[in-house]
Amino acid sequence: MHAPMAPTGSTDILAIANAPVLWLCVAGVFGVIVVQSLIFLRAVRRAAPSVQMTPADIRTSFRSGAVSAIGPSLAVALVAIALLALFGAPAVLSRIGLIGSAAYDVSAAGIAAGTLGAKLGDESYTQSVFAVAFFAMSIGGAMWMIATLILTPLLRRGDAKIRAINPAAMAIVPAAALIGAFACLGFTELPKSGTHVVTCAVSAAVMALSLLLAKTLGKSWLREWGLGISIVTALGAALLTSGS
Amino acid sequence: MTATSTAPAATDQAMAEFDRTTSRWGRATMIAGLLVSIAGPLYLVFAGGLDIAPAQLWIAFAAVAATFGIIWIVEPLTYYPILGPAAMYQAFMIGNISNKLLPAALIAQTNIGAKPGTRRGQLASVVAICGAAAVHLASLALFVGLLGSWLISVIPPAAMNVTRLYVLPAVLGAVLVQAIVSMKQPRTTVIALAVAAAVVFLVLPAVPGLAMVSTAIAVLGTVLLAWFFRSRQPASKARPAQPVHLE
Repeated sequence: MHAPMAPTGSTDILAIANAPVLWLCVAGVFGVIVVQSLIFLRAVRRAAPSVQMTPADIRTSFRSGAVSAIGPSLAVALVAIALLALFGAPAVLSRIGLIGSAAYDVSAAGIAAGTLGAKLGDESYTQSVFAVAFFAMSIGGAMWMIATLILTPLLRRGDAKIRAINPAAMAIVPAAALIGAFACLGFTELPKSGTHVVTCAVSAAVMALSLLLAKTLGKSWLREWGLGISIVTALGAALLTSGS
Repeated sequence: MTATSTAPAATDQAMAEFDRTTSRWGRATMIAGLLVSIAGPLYLVFAGGLDIAPAQLWIAFAAVAATFGIIWIVEPLTYYPILGPAAMYQAFMIGNISNKLLPAALIAQTNIGAKPGTRRGQLASVVAICGAAAVHLASLALFVGLLGSWLISVIPPAAMNVTRLYVLPAVLGAVLVQAIVSMKQPRTTVIALAVAAAVVFLVLPAVPGLAMVSTAIAVLGTVLLAWFFRSRQPASKARPAQPVHLE
């Protein structure tokens, strides 16, 4: 595809990715989550005595949640750092760190760039392409929240129509959609260059090894860290292969 | 403890009050989070002086929707029975549900001896998710916001370039393996790999104009074929739906 966007051809992504407005929005998302947590904690404290939940139980629950989140949070931070060069800190913090996930947001950005005939990271990845990719992944990410906002009240009422969805369809359709999407996106990377092939293969192999070791040795932290370890190892391989 | 003598009616009333508060404020905070999260890209696109045509935005969004539209709806459906209504509004804003929030909730329930699905278990998971969110926000601000920004400033430009160029295959290789392993559906996996390979290596070289919609074609093709060739074992033996691990 050769249809690069001519007018704003600057590839200095980080110049616009670090715009103060974007940092303000990140602070806003952080703020909303803090406010929500405080409101929910207060609601729990009010309801707790009626179900024999003591203040000590609440403290224990909070501490358990916090401690068990340390590992996964650091693993997410590692993945996020690897994506800083591509999206800049504000987009990474609000999209990959919160709300979305690396798998979805990177895929969405790649798909969006593709519709402009551009590729993430190379000379066709201009400021305009970044803005369109950021737009597409954010609006796409918002669709999860819209679905949650619509479906949660329906499910609370025990809507029979939703419960009647065929369980086989619920198992097969999403799995097929996800594996089909990631397989297609992954294969699309391969014809780009030999280094792309090596990077993708190393990443897949390291993930397979991490999951295998996690299962055979019973080390579940390997499952959490698998994505971060795979990305860093694959980038190391890319650095060696591309010879720069 | 005085609460042990409380009549069931008082329990119901207190929990109804909890449901009301968390539904109302859960919705309000989630809408606020949604608006703030799209404000940044909207500003860049419309006020960033980048000369972007609206058609480009909608085409990009349509391509993303064609790929992930099914997941947007299925994921909230599969998590609802595990999370309950209150935690839904937390989980889909904080993200990383399967790898962080669910384990946090389960450990908290175990530690205070509450069973999942009970009211006590529901309250424990809401509190645990608050704890997980606190740690997550702190770690992101510290390691990505501060340390990451510093790293970007000291990393040699050559390494930056390599990262930018190859981070997409570095993410996708691992994500594909993870999706295949966690879904545990060999038949669907084979179909997905075959369809994707056919689209990328046969259809695209022949019709390059389809590059824009290649992922959508692969998704649609895989879903149709996987459904058509699904194993028709008795319902009792069929595996229950696995939660989809994307958020």
